[in-house]
Amino acid sequence: MKPFVFALFLFLIGCAAEPEPLAYGKDQCHACKMTLMDRKFGAELVTKKGKVYKFDDINCLFNFYKGTDVSKEDYQHTLVIDFSQPEKLIDAQKAYFLKSSEVMSPMASGVAAFEFQNSELTTNWQATPLTWQELEKQFGE
Amino acid sequence: MKIIVFCSVLVFTLAYAEARTYRVSKQGKITTLKEAVALSDHGDTIIIEPGIYKEGNVIIEKSLTILGNGLPTMDGEHKYEIFTIHATNVTVSGIRFIDTGVANINDLAAIKILDSKGIKIQHNKFENTFFGIYLANTTSSLIEKNTLYSHGIAENQIGNGIHLWKCENITINKNNIKGHRDGIYFEFVTNSLITNNHSEGNVRYGLHFMFSHNDEYYNNTFLRNGAGVAVMYTKNVKMIGNTFDENWGSSAYGLLLKDIRDSEVTNNTFFKNTIGIHLEGVSRTNFTENTFTENGYAVRLQASSDDNVFNRNNFSANTFDMATNGSLVLNQINGNYWDKYQGYDLNKDGIGDVPFRPVNMYAMIVERIPAAILLWRSFFVLLIDRAEKAIPVVTPEDLKDSSPSMKPYDFAATSK
Repeated sequence: MKPFVFALFLFLIGCAAEPEPLAYGKDQCHACKMTLMDRKFGAELVTKKGKVYKFDDINCLFNFYKGTDVSKEDYQHTLVIDFSQPEKLIDAQKAYFLKSSEVMSPMASGVAAFEFQNSELTTNWQATPLTWQELEKQFGE
Repeated sequence: MKIIVFCSVLVFTLAYAEARTYRVSKQGKITTLKEAVALSDHGDTIIIEPGIYKEGNVIIEKSLTILGNGLPTMDGEHKYEIFTIHATNVTVSGIRFIDTGVANINDLAAIKILDSKGIKIQHNKFENTFFGIYLANTTSSLIEKNTLYSHGIAENQIGNGIHLWKCENITINKNNIKGHRDGIYFEFVTNSLITNNHSEGNVRYGLHFMFSHNDEYYNNTFLRNGAGVAVMYTKNVKMIGNTFDENWGSSAYGLLLKDIRDSEVTNNTFFKNTIGIHLEGVSRTNFTENTFTENGYAVRLQASSDDNVFNRNNFSANTFDMATNGSLVLNQINGNYWDKYQGYDLNKDGIGDVPFRPVNMYAMIVERIPAAILLWRSFFVLLIDRAEKAIPVVTPEDLKDSSPSMKPYDFAATSK
């Protein structure tokens, strides 16, 4: 019985479509091939089958969206890095975004993501607040 | 008329006489650079005598010439940005900058130059600075003969050596950069030159080039960088006479080209890289007189590239000369020397009589199943490789050099 439970356990682990942390300095962006470096930026897609795609900037994620025939329903997780909490992946759907020329993102999208609203940076950067849906419209088409 | 001339000469001489020189020294009247900057006026010269100066952040908003005598040290005490320049015609020369602060939100630099023009940064030394020289919105400037060295261990603790953002007409010449994140970083930089630099052991790229049109870089050496050199999203760039050596690693390239148009890659040397050149989305670019030696892959040509020309290159002792991921070939490969060529030359014109197919059958398989590299050089692989050469099935039919050179080219003789 015990080996069976263990095997089942492995099987379940193997199937889980769980996000993976971005390994800065090691991982390459799936779209632009650059090595990830800036811990304030990044994005990740996890498909229902558990395949993980990593990106260094939000526009790379949208470029990947456009370039593949995988439909959006196939993604289990769409995650972005919180600008104010480096390396922390947060749910893109619920995140707050700021777009400004002051944001020096790796691929010049000029977009920073936040888990919570950040009014201080919004005024400092004279940034435009955006939601995920609005970003999709701007970059997705 | 004479009086006017006389007057103007007088005014000029007076103006020159006005340009004063201030000396900063530990023993002298002026003991800090900040004091000298406050006292000085446009066109003045400040000479810093030897010593270690801990002054935090020095802001320069006047046209000054700041010279170090006997390499004085400006210490950032792991806290500060050292110089912030916002002016026209500023020269900084002969100073050693050490230990800037490290910050994740602000890119602290040893010398940061913002919205400026006519800046010269020469003969300085930078040790353990987060960013070394940082230019934003700056034009017509010269960065020359500086040495930049950073420990380069944790990649979030180091910034770029020479970092340019939205600049124009900049010359970067004879600098020596080691152990930074990217040795030289270009983003939105146009009409600029990168010449005779040595960029070694940087954590990510030796040179990183994005959205930077009409630039040229020649005679640079890029050695043992984490991922080699990346040139991306750019048109009209000339890469001439550079050396790309020993960039080893699972995702390391001698030269990574992505989305490049109308460019030129000439007379470069690619030695011992995992991948010599990786091309993705590259169009209308000429690759001539390059030497590829002892690379894993000399050229990896993704099917998204078209209208490129490979002519008169030397390929020798590479594991794979060329690899591709598609069967459609829209590039011209002609008149190169391949050491793996086994054809003959009956009419003795120096050109092989049968075409050479640089894409090895097994390279195609490895492209699809990377783990298959384990079987490389086994007897079985050799057999199917021979079979494939006789009757091509897997390798693209049109990817061939119809006039391979029988002898390697001697570029040293032709270029100089």
